[in-house]
Amino acid sequence: MVELLIRLKFTLGRHTRSGTRWLTVLLLVGGTAFTWFLAVAAASDAVRSSLLMLALAVWAGSWILGPTVTNGVGVLRSQYFTLLPLDRNRVGLGLLVTMFVGFGPVMTLVSAAALAWHAYVSDPATLFLGLLGVLTLVVFSVSLGRLVFRGLGAAMHSRLGMEIASLQWGLIVAGLFFGWVAVQPAFVASGNLTERGFEGTAASVLAVLPTSWPVLAVDAATAGSWSAAFAWLGAFALLTVVTVLVTGRLLAPSVSTRGVGRRSRPLGSRVLEDRRSLLPDTPLGAVVGKELRSWWRDPWRGLELRSALYAGLFIGLLGLVADFPQVMPFAGVFAALIMGMGGSNMYGHDGTALWLTVVGQDRDTIRADVRGRQIAIAVLIAPPATLLSAAAIVASGQYWAVPHVLACLLVFTGVSNGLASLLSVVTVTPGVDPHKRVDANDTGDVQVQVWIMLLAVPLLSSPTLAVLVWGAIQGIPWIAVPVALFNGVPAAWLLGRVAHRRLESRLPETLTRIRYGKEIARRSLSTAGGGLLDRLERGALATNEEIKPTGS
Amino acid sequence: MESAEPSTSDVAALELDALTKTFNETRAADGVSLAVPRGTMLGLVGPNGAGKTTSLSMAVGLLRPDSGAARVLGVDVWTDPVGAKRNLGVLPDGLSLPERLTAGELLDHWGRLRGLERGLTRTRARELLQVLELDRAERDGVLVAEYSTGMRKKIGLATALLHAPEVLVLDEPYEAVDPVSARVLTAILRRFTDGGGTVVISSHVMALVEQLTDRVSIIADGRVLADGTLSEVRGTDATLEDTFVRLVGAREVGEGDLAWLNS
Repeated sequence: MVELLIRLKFTLGRHTRSGTRWLTVLLLVGGTAFTWFLAVAAASDAVRSSLLMLALAVWAGSWILGPTVTNGVGVLRSQYFTLLPLDRNRVGLGLLVTMFVGFGPVMTLVSAAALAWHAYVSDPATLFLGLLGVLTLVVFSVSLGRLVFRGLGAAMHSRLGMEIASLQWGLIVAGLFFGWVAVQPAFVASGNLTERGFEGTAASVLAVLPTSWPVLAVDAATAGSWSAAFAWLGAFALLTVVTVLVTGRLLAPSVSTRGVGRRSRPLGSRVLEDRRSLLPDTPLGAVVGKELRSWWRDPWRGLELRSALYAGLFIGLLGLVADFPQVMPFAGVFAALIMGMGGSNMYGHDGTALWLTVVGQDRDTIRADVRGRQIAIAVLIAPPATLLSAAAIVASGQYWAVPHVLACLLVFTGVSNGLASLLSVVTVTPGVDPHKRVDANDTGDVQVQVWIMLLAVPLLSSPTLAVLVWGAIQGIPWIAVPVALFNGVPAAWLLGRVAHRRLESRLPETLTRIRYGKEIARRSLSTAGGGLLDRLERGALATNEEIKPTGS
Repeated sequence: MESAEPSTSDVAALELDALTKTFNETRAADGVSLAVPRGTMLGLVGPNGAGKTTSLSMAVGLLRPDSGAARVLGVDVWTDPVGAKRNLGVLPDGLSLPERLTAGELLDHWGRLRGLERGLTRTRARELLQVLELDRAERDGVLVAEYSTGMRKKIGLATALLHAPEVLVLDEPYEAVDPVSARVLTAILRRFTDGGGTVVISSHVMALVEQLTDRVSIIADGRVLADGTLSEVRGTDATLEDTFVRLVGAREVGEGDLAWLNS
């Protein structure tokens, strides 16, 4: 069965074109080369040991992050095999085995082999321990990656699970954006890495991580303590077995019903009962109502919203832990920024439901569709982001930050709100259609959107940022607040206007992009030239990965 | 000022004029032309992959044709989409809906988007949900995401009907719908055409089309092979299925084929 599954994986892989495969290959080769550089250049056995612990932890971390950050890993979906008369757990384990076939696992193996080298150089007698450690490390890292990925997917079926997934995802995003704040003091303290390795807290934290246990086993054996060596390796092997079994269980085809379990009517759903509505009786009111309900109830959208808030919170806390308390008041600002990225593929989130906008097209409906979405994300992000920053300022006592935070919140919320609406239209990337979603990243790849946001938000906010710096130097920081208002609000309005005009002129083409996939969408664009928006659209078509099967 | 346009009664309710679409070197629709007179019900039949969905998508503005035109009551769908879509109700096949709304919320949203007054939307929505037997799900607050395939068809149909359009285009409306609901659907469509409305449905089920519609078009490989009243298309054939098989061709299952199924 495993051989068949592997063949199926390769067959499906051949039909999937990835715009970022070269980047993955580059990262893997670079990572492997760096791991070996650390192992070979280390000044002593002890230094090599601490550097290996770091490298192996980073490899395991990459396996956790990789599948969630990139897309298209769920090539072999377990639901394909639901109807086969096979033991579900065997299918799960079979699917896990297919994860070991590919360039990633091979490079992980080559990198982990540095542990065998460490063992051989330290004491040739410990080589077999090192080799056992290498194999166990690869099995552990790859399985752990799948475990986290499927764990996130499974979590999407319950409210609590979604909350935990948001927390986890928020931590990952915070780590990606601000992890260096936490790591930097360790690096500074370590001076020349290959000379001195790690000392102090960083070293003791690293030593606790499971991926360090095989290294500790080799070190113990080198020191003559064979019982400790077997204890470390045995513990790691046991943990690996547990990880494999749990992952196999999670990968097994599920036959439970989908949807979030619910005991009562959803809030605000009694619309037909002649109650008064807060929203106006217009297309704009209709879209705002639908969007607010969808953001509130859809676990996939909830994940974007909640994880942005958690990421903001964690970035603030990371600053505090890393003795960088000035970061803390800006927790809400980061949340607003990350939420902007979460809203940059709104039409991708909706999938083919865009057909309603197409057939219901009237004079004002397209504008209402874009504006309504902008209002909804502003309503959902501005108050909690402001509250988060306010709480952080009060908790940390950093009241100096109030004008800075206010200016940043105003300008970033406005600019990222406008950009989100524009990118949602121009770079729309469908995922799995909403009623067939399983995994946490089934909503569509947004790498182009994220990169554009990272570059364009500071650029479009630069007038405010310039005044903010000048005002701080002059001792008049509050001057930046009105500037932020006159920067952020027009940006949101103007970018939203570009968005609804673009959607109006390419409404059926946008639906075609979602319904039939990128190959057919590409035909509606010229191959070169055109305006900035055409170029943006071509860029997204070439880069963002397709995780939706093509065809109607 | 005198209008140069023909009088409204002469204008076809829905007209597909040489619609052509190519996907990845495959011609999904190859000059599809049809004219559906007002007050009639047309059945569009054809094998899987014949180009039914592609043709209907182009006719209602969901897919831009490579060439050709489509008109609803004489209004061009592609040059005046707003004018054409006001009189059109559409049920596409297999597409998503705003999944996290209840049926009532979806219809309330749809009514407002269509510019209907709220009281009217509520009255119609309640009636539609009751007739289509979705009222219990609505009482329980079931979201569209939790609906079965048949229920999805029914709420899709409700969105197509809510604004009381003059032309209905329904892609596979009977698929996955239970027999009781199918009878209700038939009654709705009959009442609609009796009132002067026009319906186009696509289907694979010949018996259904034969029993339900007064006009039929057979489409295969992106081309219209036959079009006219039921008796015109059927000619001397005993059933529509015979005509269909004669025009499209059928692969017979030989005596030796699939013998292993008897083991």
